[in-house]
Amino acid sequence: MEYSSDGRIKRGNHAAKMYIIIIIKCLKTLAFTGMVGLSLGERHFIQGGIAQDLRSDGRKRLTYRPLSVETGVIPQVNGSARVRIGATDVIASVKAELGKPSLLQPDKGKVSLYMDCSSTADPAFEGRGGEELAAELSNALQNCLLGGKSGAGAGIDLSSLIVVEGKICWNLYIDGLVVSSDGNLLDALGAAIKAALSNTGIPRVQVAAGTLNDEHPEVDVCDDEFLQFDTSGVPVIVTLTKVGRHYIVDATSEEESQMSSAVSISFNRQGHICGITKRGGVGLDPSILLDMISVAKHVSEQVLNKLDSEIASAEAEEES
Amino acid sequence: MREIQLPLSQTQKVRLQKALETLESLSRKVNSDASVIVADSIHVNHEDGVLKGHGTADLNGEVVATLCGVVERVNKLVYVRALRAKYKPEVGDIVIGRVVEVAQKRWRLYINYNQDAVLMLSSMNMPDGVQRRRTALDELNMRRIFEEKDVVCAEVRGFQYDGLHLQARSRKYGKLNRGQLLTVPPYLVKRQKQHFHHLEEFGIDLILGCNGFVWVGEHVEAKDDMIEDEVSQSDHQVLLPNKNSVSLEEQEKNYTILETRKYICRAANAVRVLSTLGFNITLEIIKGIIDLSLSMNIDIHDMLGSEFGVLVAEKEAERRSSNKKKR
Amino acid sequence: MAGKSGATPATYSPSLTTSDKKKKPPLFNEDWVRPDGRAFQQCRPAFFRTGAVNAASGSAYAEFGNTKVIVSVFGPRESKKAMMYSDIGRLNCNVSFTTFATPVRGQGSDHKEYSAMLHKALEGAIILETFPKTTVDVFALVLESSGSELPVIISCASLALADAGIMMYDLVASVSVSCFSKNLVIDPISEEENNQDGSLMITCMPSRYEITQLTVTGEWSTPKINEGMQLCLDACGKLAKIMRSCLKEAASDSQE
Repeated sequence: MEYSSDGRIKRGNHAAKMYIIIIIKCLKTLAFTGMVGLSLGERHFIQGGIAQDLRSDGRKRLTYRPLSVETGVIPQVNGSARVRIGATDVIASVKAELGKPSLLQPDKGKVSLYMDCSSTADPAFEGRGGEELAAELSNALQNCLLGGKSGAGAGIDLSSLIVVEGKICWNLYIDGLVVSSDGNLLDALGAAIKAALSNTGIPRVQVAAGTLNDEHPEVDVCDDEFLQFDTSGVPVIVTLTKVGRHYIVDATSEEESQMSSAVSISFNRQGHICGITKRGGVGLDPSILLDMISVAKHVSEQVLNKLDSEIASAEAEEES
Repeated sequence: MREIQLPLSQTQKVRLQKALETLESLSRKVNSDASVIVADSIHVNHEDGVLKGHGTADLNGEVVATLCGVVERVNKLVYVRALRAKYKPEVGDIVIGRVVEVAQKRWRLYINYNQDAVLMLSSMNMPDGVQRRRTALDELNMRRIFEEKDVVCAEVRGFQYDGLHLQARSRKYGKLNRGQLLTVPPYLVKRQKQHFHHLEEFGIDLILGCNGFVWVGEHVEAKDDMIEDEVSQSDHQVLLPNKNSVSLEEQEKNYTILETRKYICRAANAVRVLSTLGFNITLEIIKGIIDLSLSMNIDIHDMLGSEFGVLVAEKEAERRSSNKKKR
Repeated sequence: MAGKSGATPATYSPSLTTSDKKKKPPLFNEDWVRPDGRAFQQCRPAFFRTGAVNAASGSAYAEFGNTKVIVSVFGPRESKKAMMYSDIGRLNCNVSFTTFATPVRGQGSDHKEYSAMLHKALEGAIILETFPKTTVDVFALVLESSGSELPVIISCASLALADAGIMMYDLVASVSVSCFSKNLVIDPISEEENNQDGSLMITCMPSRYEITQLTVTGEWSTPKINEGMQLCLDACGKLAKIMRSCLKEAASDSQE
């Protein structure tokens, strides 16, 4: 097998199958107000701030909170990353295991999402409490990050994960863990998944000679050689929350409780949209929606740059 | 220190460490003998007939601690005071709470304590100002005064059989609008003479609740009762964004003006920085931080950044060492 | 999180019992060495840190070799209305595993009984009368599991409770021992646990020398149980010392 310099397999005679399973354990809802709700006066104040372009913590409408990325936080998996946006703190981990590709798409990956909410964080998430939020987040992430049925727009080349077409491929399990929640979980999780994928190393696999055409070919997994993912195609998610007449980016949980609707759009490097999810029951005029998309596109360029530089410095620090 | 949640660069870490060390050396030297952990035995002179107070237990005649903290001795009483204590209400404390329930003749407020506090209808001044017996009609109209999720400022009246009771008899207590509520660790707000602060030069109100809730908002004059009734009625209407009767434009006219809002955000961020660094929160320090940020022309949002955090720590170390020298 | 240990982890190993005991080689393997090279009576280095979760009333992080656990304590908080009036407090425990905790994904859900066992271990040590009508929630999250998770969870939970300022009679330390035919191996890792002939887990309050929970599986003769108990109690005593020094450090740090 030949590996090109950017990690993608040149020869296309290997099928790949990838399972991306996102498990999100919500660990803690930080702000007390996030749990109970805000009074009329407080809500009025927040709306006023957004209207006047001065939010409660001094940010402008389109300013993100400081973003910090750490990679390699979980040693026992193939790749992991921790992303902090303000008080929101999430961890994503990627684990690769060998498995069998699906019959329908012997050269492509299959994606499924799994959500779980742990009670270690907000006591309200004990038992079934956090399941609703977990399901909502997983659906939104699935839409935004995983592309269409053919895999286009996912940014992850599924065919690069094939070992033996139709027989053996790599399954990638991506688990997300929310350590602390202060709004804007989707953006943080999207960033964490992108960082974790760029931190992932898939072990090099040798197919045992002569077993290539067997039902179950034997493979030899090399422990020391790793194939890094090319994540330049992985999109980043930008969530725009509409409060009153205006939209804000990176809402805190207090601001999220005010929203009439929120639209999460994922963009890739080319500026193309890879997925859109709308939350919130209030109807939106189509022209407003288009306007939101263009605002989000403008913001996404800065976010992509910031995220890429943070990931690069995190990896550099991890190595040192 | 409990890990300070700021992403710091190497030089910033060094500077912060230096400032914190200065502060530590200045702080009252607590005798390390006095600090105890759970199940440490406390040295007492048995002949004295010692009274075992809070945080202690008796084990075979020995006095052992049941909490981690510092042993305090007052005459014959020995007790353990926890260092990062949960809020412990005392009579006369100013607290800020959030209404969780409107019950029969009372409101229940969440005040960051073990139980929810109770504010009786009879402990509130009626809107028309008249001192009278509360009727059934008053009870039905309780929601006009406070609703669920409202932020209310009150004073601790005492512990009764059914819990902690509050009272809000003075004009300065009551519902808080037009501002933001912050949560800080309760042990950072020490009991002082004044908890209500009006920063005239900024036009904002600052209320430091002993239970760790801090309110920063637009200044509201304590109005006369009769006028208050009319004004509050119209206020109420304009402030209800969800009711169809009020349009977006009318609400917008009523927003806090930008100038005041800037100061509110600065003060709020100052409190947030103090809470992150674990410093005591007093009016003097908050004013100092606001002035520092204004003089250095720091953007309001940048006040939450690491650089400003380190600056605040250094300034605080300077301030305390200069205070000590004055004595 | 993982890999950020500041202080040097301290090891704790119980002293050998005074009875004449020769270490017999295990019957199933000549010269059997423990996979991580420890002696039979040697425990893994223990590392504790309090204050790991800012948002909880109290929290603690424990790392014993490759077993990493984080416990957060909330409360005392108002009990839900459904609870009847009670003049003592309520303790609510919950243990959950992350999906990446075990080498095989998703295996953690086998351990549903850990929550109940954690409850039994802690309720003897907490002075429930001090918070009537309210509830204390203890939530444990296992980040990485590689053997004897429950003892680590229990020890970490009692540290978190002390950190939260909940009144307790004493800290709770817990150690488990695996039995391989005639040999006792302390603080087993998952490989050893999977092949063990029996196990004995003790939770005790070291200063009071009281056992709050004892769980034995497998076939044990009485002298063996005695030996196992002595080993564990000794190790618990030493573990408690490490826990106390961690609390002392945290206390001296916060003198402001």
